[in-house]
Amino acid sequence: MRPILLQGHERSLTQIKFNRDGDLLFSCSKDHVINVWYTHNGERLGTYDGNNGTVWTVDVDSESLFMVSGAADNTLRLWNVATGKCLYTWEFPTAVKRVAFSEDDNQVVCITEQRMGHQCAIRVFNINRSGDGTKQSKEPAHMFNPIGSKATVCAFTAQPNIIITGHESGKVSLFNVKTGEEINNNERAHSEVVTDLQLSPDKTYCITSSKDKSARIHDTKTLMVIKTFTTETPLNSAALAPNRPYVLLGGGQEAMQVTTTSLRQGKFETRFWHKVFEEEVGRVKGHFGPINTIAVHPKGTYYASGGEDGFVRVHHFDESYFKTELYGDLQIED
Amino acid sequence: EDQRESETVNTELLAHRRRLVDEWNAWRVRCKKERAEQKGQEGGHENQGEEDKEEIEVWIDEVIEQIEEEVVD
Repeated sequence: MRPILLQGHERSLTQIKFNRDGDLLFSCSKDHVINVWYTHNGERLGTYDGNNGTVWTVDVDSESLFMVSGAADNTLRLWNVATGKCLYTWEFPTAVKRVAFSEDDNQVVCITEQRMGHQCAIRVFNINRSGDGTKQSKEPAHMFNPIGSKATVCAFTAQPNIIITGHESGKVSLFNVKTGEEINNNERAHSEVVTDLQLSPDKTYCITSSKDKSARIHDTKTLMVIKTFTTETPLNSAALAPNRPYVLLGGGQEAMQVTTTSLRQGKFETRFWHKVFEEEVGRVKGHFGPINTIAVHPKGTYYASGGEDGFVRVHHFDESYFKTELYGDLQIED
Repeated sequence: EDQRESETVNTELLAHRRRLVDEWNAWRVRCKKERAEQKGQEGGHENQGEEDKEEIEVWIDEVIEQIEEEVVD
């Protein structure tokens, strides 16, 4: 199947996210806009306007009712998915770099940047889901400043009130959001900034990517590194393919260094690795610039990548992807 | 002799992969068990209602025209 090109952003993509059903794909960008697309045909369903700066991050709840976004204009916003209306805006002293919903949709965690005398902060907000969503509490339910290296990515784990974070130093940690206590960490998870963190469907493991050119699978309870995938370019994103034993990695040279790329065809590739054998199994090219963000459909039927080039590419896996037993008949648990 | 050697390598590689899969599966089973126990303690409300949906999609992927432009500088 030919990839679907989603054209609508004018600047590089920062994060893309499927909703739980996988029928919608949310994308945010440096052009200040968030778009939502139908995944089956690439048609744009709508746009969320209002941000006055790069939108760094989005997440959508499990019912596709509310969406949250974080941006360089120092705001965290709550949106009505269907109407495109901004329901509530929280303001901070610095940019919001990462947001994520809790599994029950009742909380949102966000990371604000360290800048101009302000420390990096992690806040958790309770989301009032009753009514039209416009009545939210201004103050966070929990807030703390992670000690040491600043956090770059975060997500709720399967355990109540525990979040997993990736840091600028390459550290991966577990924090109790109620107390702000660092419960566990792996200082040497990566040797450079952690650029992405995505959880498995049951949240028992996660994959991180880093500028240190590697991606790793960690046990979210013990933070033990289970697998390592070492590439030759700095990585911006890593995703797990549900129901198949693969991980998808994306990255590339820094935008500054991109000068020798062919004009006819994008040379930047999404790399597929076997998640158990730690071997590269394939590449899909197409982007004209580094790949900033990758997401896989919750059922594992498509994947999408967002690039520095401003495009989102949606690829439907073809039949051979599901049938091929690359390394023989071995049953691998998801 | 070469062939025999490559066969040995293959067998070793196969055994290695088999071991990796066994380790992975053992870890996954342990994780899933712990997760199920934790869910049980919380009162266990699993997400349901996924299976009663039936979707029918018809795919038509037809290339009507394809232009490839080559920029010469």
